[in-house]
Amino acid sequence: MSTAGTPAAQPPAAQPPAAQPSAARPPAARTRRSRLTDENGRRVPVWELVLRYALLLAVLALTVGPFLWQLSTSLKGPTEDIFSSPPKFLPGHPTLHNYERVADTIPVWDYALNSLKVAAANVVTNCVGSALAGYALARLRYRGRGATTLVFVLAMLVPAEGIIIAQFTTMRELGLNNTLVGVVLPGAVAALNVLLMRNAFRNLPYEVEEAAYVDGANVWQRFWRIALPSVRGTLAVVAIFAFMGAWDDFLWPLIVLSDPSRFTLTIGLNYLHGTFAGDERLVAAGTVIAVAPLIALFACLQRFFFRGVGEGAVKG
Amino acid sequence: MPMSRRALAAAAVTALVLPLSACGSSDGGGGATADASGKVEGDITFETWNLRANFKDYFEGLIADFEKKYPGTHVKWIDQPAEGYADKISADAAGGTLPDVVNVSPDLAAPLAKAGLALDLDKAAAKYRSEYLPGAWAGHQVPGMTGTYAFPWYLNTGPLFYNKTLFAQAGLDAAKPPRTYDELFADALQLAHKSGGKVATLANVPTIEDFGRYGSSLMNKAGTGFAFNDAKGIELLTKYKELYDAKALDPQVLTATPESTGKKFLTGAVAMNPGSALDLDHFKKQAPSLYKNIGITDQITSTGHVNMYVMGLMVNSRTKRAPAAVAFAHYVTDAEHQMSFAKKVAIFPSTAGSLDDPYFTKEDGTDETRVRVAAAKSLKNAVNYTPVLFSEQMKTALRNEVAKALQGKQSPKEALDNAVKACDLLLQQQG
Amino acid sequence: MPPTRSTPAVPRTRPARPARSTVRRPARLAGRRPARLPVSRVRRQLPTSPWLFAAPGLLVTGVFILYPFLSTVANAFTDRRTLVPGRFVGLANFRELLHDDMFWIALRNSVLYIAGVVPALVILPLLLALLVRKNIPGIAFFRSAFYTPVVASIVVVGLIWVWLLDERGLVNALLQTVGLDRVGFLSDQWLLLISAMTVTVWKGLGYYMIVYLAALANVPRELHEAAAVDGAGAVRRFLTVTVPAVRSTMVLVAALSSVAAFKVFSEVYLMAGPSGGPAGEDTTLVMLVQRTGTGLSGRVGYASALSLVVFVVTVVLMLLVLRADRKEES
Repeated sequence: MSTAGTPAAQPPAAQPPAAQPSAARPPAARTRRSRLTDENGRRVPVWELVLRYALLLAVLALTVGPFLWQLSTSLKGPTEDIFSSPPKFLPGHPTLHNYERVADTIPVWDYALNSLKVAAANVVTNCVGSALAGYALARLRYRGRGATTLVFVLAMLVPAEGIIIAQFTTMRELGLNNTLVGVVLPGAVAALNVLLMRNAFRNLPYEVEEAAYVDGANVWQRFWRIALPSVRGTLAVVAIFAFMGAWDDFLWPLIVLSDPSRFTLTIGLNYLHGTFAGDERLVAAGTVIAVAPLIALFACLQRFFFRGVGEGAVKG
Repeated sequence: MPMSRRALAAAAVTALVLPLSACGSSDGGGGATADASGKVEGDITFETWNLRANFKDYFEGLIADFEKKYPGTHVKWIDQPAEGYADKISADAAGGTLPDVVNVSPDLAAPLAKAGLALDLDKAAAKYRSEYLPGAWAGHQVPGMTGTYAFPWYLNTGPLFYNKTLFAQAGLDAAKPPRTYDELFADALQLAHKSGGKVATLANVPTIEDFGRYGSSLMNKAGTGFAFNDAKGIELLTKYKELYDAKALDPQVLTATPESTGKKFLTGAVAMNPGSALDLDHFKKQAPSLYKNIGITDQITSTGHVNMYVMGLMVNSRTKRAPAAVAFAHYVTDAEHQMSFAKKVAIFPSTAGSLDDPYFTKEDGTDETRVRVAAAKSLKNAVNYTPVLFSEQMKTALRNEVAKALQGKQSPKEALDNAVKACDLLLQQQG
Repeated sequence: MPPTRSTPAVPRTRPARPARSTVRRPARLAGRRPARLPVSRVRRQLPTSPWLFAAPGLLVTGVFILYPFLSTVANAFTDRRTLVPGRFVGLANFRELLHDDMFWIALRNSVLYIAGVVPALVILPLLLALLVRKNIPGIAFFRSAFYTPVVASIVVVGLIWVWLLDERGLVNALLQTVGLDRVGFLSDQWLLLISAMTVTVWKGLGYYMIVYLAALANVPRELHEAAAVDGAGAVRRFLTVTVPAVRSTMVLVAALSSVAAFKVFSEVYLMAGPSGGPAGEDTTLVMLVQRTGTGLSGRVGYASALSLVVFVVTVVLMLLVLRADRKEES
């Protein structure tokens, strides 16, 4: 690892090695060879580099390939057969028409806005709620701490499929059915996130906080000014999980919401399956619309994200 | 900021216990039934199943006309997406938030009626009864109960589509598709044989409606137990077993869903697929190259009655605006509006006399019209074979026993006996 | 490692690289004891603040997860159905369970799922983490790309894989071009289960890869260097240095993935169909909960009893893993 001394971070949107034809790869690698050293500071042999890239590309094909197919289907025009056998990979006449049709068929922007509201709220509540609770579990001593931890561990193990109707009844008693608040609440502070934050706080060295304590900082100040900034990476992890969870959820928003103007994107896109006329191209365009923001978000946050796991957020 | 720990605990306990006590009161069954006589006014909600994407303008126009006809009414339209409709209705029914007018199929209406959540239209709307086809009106009656629990809405049935190319390749006359079950089975075996097991004819296992169409009696007369393990039922399953062994059924038939069978037909993996008039348009869009090779023939039945699907509009018995809800449900399903809806999409009205409209009797040479005229004709004596009490759980039980028979793990008779036993048990548990 | 690259942003908590591993470990060990000193004094200052910190999380979890779950527990002893309030039936649901063939099939499949998925998810992501660990040009792109399956919705993933593994799908087309027979990935009971496991592994790879990357960051470099000087080969170094160093992480991955595997639903549901494969032979426990309990005729009581069994088994699983972890720590 030669980067220890080099300026921080290469750009997250890296060079596109995947797009390079394989023939072009070895020379490119060779020119950089001088900078490429392993973690012990020795040079990486060319054969090893070639092997590594070959493996990387193979895994890349496995992980990303299926999504490219979906993208390709969404770009196929109305005259193209999408069920031909053997299947055709590239659209013959690529068109964005299907995306326009999705927008014509359903108010996709309204639904996306609702999803965004729900996801954003979920991110905020999860970051705040799990940071607070995680801090209490990791750093504060009080009677009942063990019981509190147990509550969150058990909550994580509750099978979600078994309680959805009971959740709905509860929500109705609170008068929150058919509101976006009702969509957010059950997952507002997910138990898994609390435990992630707890681990992150526990892994911080005590000395730092102790110094602040000696300076007379109270518990809120230590939490806010010292502990929290040190686990920003884990917060990014929690934020991504919260955003993904809220953005992807289907059954719960469907059950809570009655008013179509409040529907979220996943529910809205389900209209495309159509009672009378399902169109694979529209469905494919819809899934691309649903997945793209997640991938974009991840690409943007990935630097924080990788730092977060470095803090030991996800590990025990 | 400081707050005693006890106060917090008390607050937490209150939050936990309050909903618990309230939960007990939401019982099903019984309860006061709404009175449908009186002035048509007030706000009502109207729930449909995945119609907004394609028919937004039609329904918005319909609602505007209704509100104009009955000043003082306001209809709020809620359209639900394709998936999860039964889950949504279950949660609403259990939570007491069911809309006033709900789009249902008979198997959804039955449990709602049993729980006392559906208005008995024989009492509340008897005067409209004569406007509908008798068979359609009876479609939402529930064995063991006396009333009718939904207005009949649109009907659907359809032909059998077949792939002419595959027929010709197997040495069959593409102009002479099978018309009886015997011909169907013979053709299927030949298709499988000639292609060396590569081309299957059907991609679905027999469902309850297939048993009915083949002539099995399905249920006992009193509607208290199932009877599809009769001679006809066993005969049909035995035939399917032969097809399965000869690879005349698609290899993935045991895990097939309606969507997957459609796709199989579109990719040319299977030679035949039951469908409806709606599918023609679908074929044109999805597989233009296949479309010209598609042949259309009548649904095969040994009872003389084809199968039909019935959709209905149920009125919530707890509605606060019964007169408006009943009036609106009738308005949507009356002859005029069913006719205009049928002209928008390939479905069929359930109102008396509508099927005699020239739109459903005059051919003009196109495939669409030909299918439409044939379907309308067959609908006049069509039957909804699926018993209204046949729940999702029963469908799964039947499906799994049928699969075991096809795999040879048990005989067709054992399979159907077991399925009947399982379904009877589920029926009893439904109460 | 990526985390170190971003180090300059928070210098205070992130000591310079070589020191890190040595500082960190003692800090963690020491952390448990000193905790008492400052915090007990804090309690005198602001007695209720620990509860205030935990309150939002506790409230949400209590009202929307645990309370509904309590009603599930209560329902497990009734014959309640979706629209019909139940009567108390004692242990009848549990007795019925013991005689329900489908329950045993589902239990078998859920256990098999753990057996199939967990080893793969413990080992493959570790290898992947080693592969993307080295900072060669473009590695950030690869890391992000490998994470995409985690981000994508399971429904989309299911649709794509069904298409790939279909009798006439891409995989079978490839098999045929190399002269092999078609394989019934989606028609054979066992192959279906294996296919679903593959999807689970595929979707989980990126997630656990990151978990391992984090753990690898803490492996002291000196160990590797020493091993290299000793002339140990790559495989040997992996077994003698890497594996022991990330062992506690492997236990954690095993715990998380076995709980998830035991509760598997979507993958099998999407690939084997709602009725659970041929003759229902691929049904998993959570699928059975969903099938018996939902819909207007759902047997809520029986499904609740099933849920309870699933819950108890997951708790036991978790305890077992935690115990193994503790044993290893001591």
